[in-house]
Amino acid sequence: MDLMHHSSTFLLPTIPLHHRPSLTYALVVLNQTLPRFAPLLWKHAQLRLCADGGANRVFDEMPLLFPEEDASDVRLRYKPDVINGDMDSIRKEVLDFYRSLGTKIIDKSHDQDTTDLHKCITYIWDFAPDANKSSLCILVAGALGGRYDHEMGNLNVLYCFSSLRIVLLSDDSLIYLLPRTHHHEIHIQTSVEGPHCGLIPIGAPSRSSTTTGLRWNLSKYMSTLL
Amino acid sequence: MLRLQSIKLAKAKHLTVPSPSSLRLVKKRMIAMDLMHHSSCFLLPTIPLQRRPSLTYALLVLNQNLPRFTPLLWNHAQLHLCADGGANRLYDEMPLFFPQEGASDVRRRYKPDVIKGDMDSIRREVLEFYASLGTEIVDKSHDQDTTDLHKCVTYIRDSASGLDKSNLCILVVGALGGRFDHEMGNLNVICRFSYMRIVLLSNDSLIHLLPRTYCHEIHIQTSVEGPHCGLIPIGTPSKSSTTTGLQWDLNNTAMEFGGLVSTSNIVKEEKVTVQSDCDLLWTISIKKL
Repeated sequence: MDLMHHSSTFLLPTIPLHHRPSLTYALVVLNQTLPRFAPLLWKHAQLRLCADGGANRVFDEMPLLFPEEDASDVRLRYKPDVINGDMDSIRKEVLDFYRSLGTKIIDKSHDQDTTDLHKCITYIWDFAPDANKSSLCILVAGALGGRYDHEMGNLNVLYCFSSLRIVLLSDDSLIYLLPRTHHHEIHIQTSVEGPHCGLIPIGAPSRSSTTTGLRWNLSKYMSTLL
Repeated sequence: MLRLQSIKLAKAKHLTVPSPSSLRLVKKRMIAMDLMHHSSCFLLPTIPLQRRPSLTYALLVLNQNLPRFTPLLWNHAQLHLCADGGANRLYDEMPLFFPQEGASDVRRRYKPDVIKGDMDSIRREVLEFYASLGTEIVDKSHDQDTTDLHKCVTYIRDSASGLDKSNLCILVVGALGGRFDHEMGNLNVICRFSYMRIVLLSNDSLIHLLPRTYCHEIHIQTSVEGPHCGLIPIGTPSKSSTTTGLQWDLNNTAMEFGGLVSTSNIVKEEKVTVQSDCDLLWTISIKKL
């Protein structure tokens, strides 16, 4: 079984040059209060998308993270590359503002079968060249909290795109899938994350999981059933 | 119930002429499965007298911001518990709901019956304040194997005296949001105690389990909840779930993470029915009034 490396270097001010794995980041902003480190994620990302009302959040809340600066300067600096979704939450003035700055607007209001996050992930998947997909990591802000069915729908997106690295982030936690097809090494960035952690068998029971490096490690003989 | 039966029979007819034994099996399953009623009348200002089922409520406060309807839940509950730092929330935030009143008056009025947990979050002055008012303090700091929610649910189940437990419903605030491992641990508690009615509430949603051993009727209180809802196969895939009353009903539909999970659904009728081969989580949005 292949080894998969994980590291939250996207939470560091600077990503070390020789850090393995070397990843390309995309940022998706959903419609919840921006986490306090949103500007940091924005800086590391090469592609920045807002899912529908996520654009309202960037417009309204990015300036609040830079109170000493002029709001319109901050808005010009934090301009999303794409706004994608069913457009039922984004305010007209926000849409017009970013459109006038050159943001690509993708109106998927006809598609009621998938969530806004799903639409954004599909866009990134189609946009990224095949060669780069394995080194792509999609950071998502605003996927946790709020309406519970939304949170579960966002969690399901991780499972539907289990071959993609997708990290859901809130002010309190980050979560990502550890596909069963790989062994996993998680390199803990102690300056920015931890110590509280967990492993969750969402969706199906696990008969056998094994860990090292935790206070309460799992051994292969223990069943972890929800 | 009858409608579900006719759906199953119609489906069986479409595929093959149902044998007497398969019909007996369907009928046996329907008869064997009891009906469980659900209603969010705890979100109403007054609970209608004839409301079925007639429930006794306990309120449990965990360590997150209090939802705006916490005083309402408090009024309906016969037992009020704080899990550890939930007592800080009560102390700090209940007065904010009554800005025209003196904070200490509000604190005395909203005095928990019990504070329980491992006591690593509750502030000393909060603990002393409630202890001086007669709140029972149950220190479980030696027990690091179970979450504070788990400790409180077992306390309610095993110890709480003077509480009619024959039709008990535990309302929990502060179980969602915050640290994700906490949220999942709280979800696991309601899955482990699947034979008890436990409702987790936040400002945006409520969730509770629909055990697979029952057919479910959910009576929607349209003045306070909906229309956004979902059914989540949280712990194990579902080979077959069936609903009525939703915009996108399930009809012997399979659900699992990585495939179909019913989210962003809409309640269409005042009664929603659900039947499934696995425990499902029901979630519905709470209206911002």
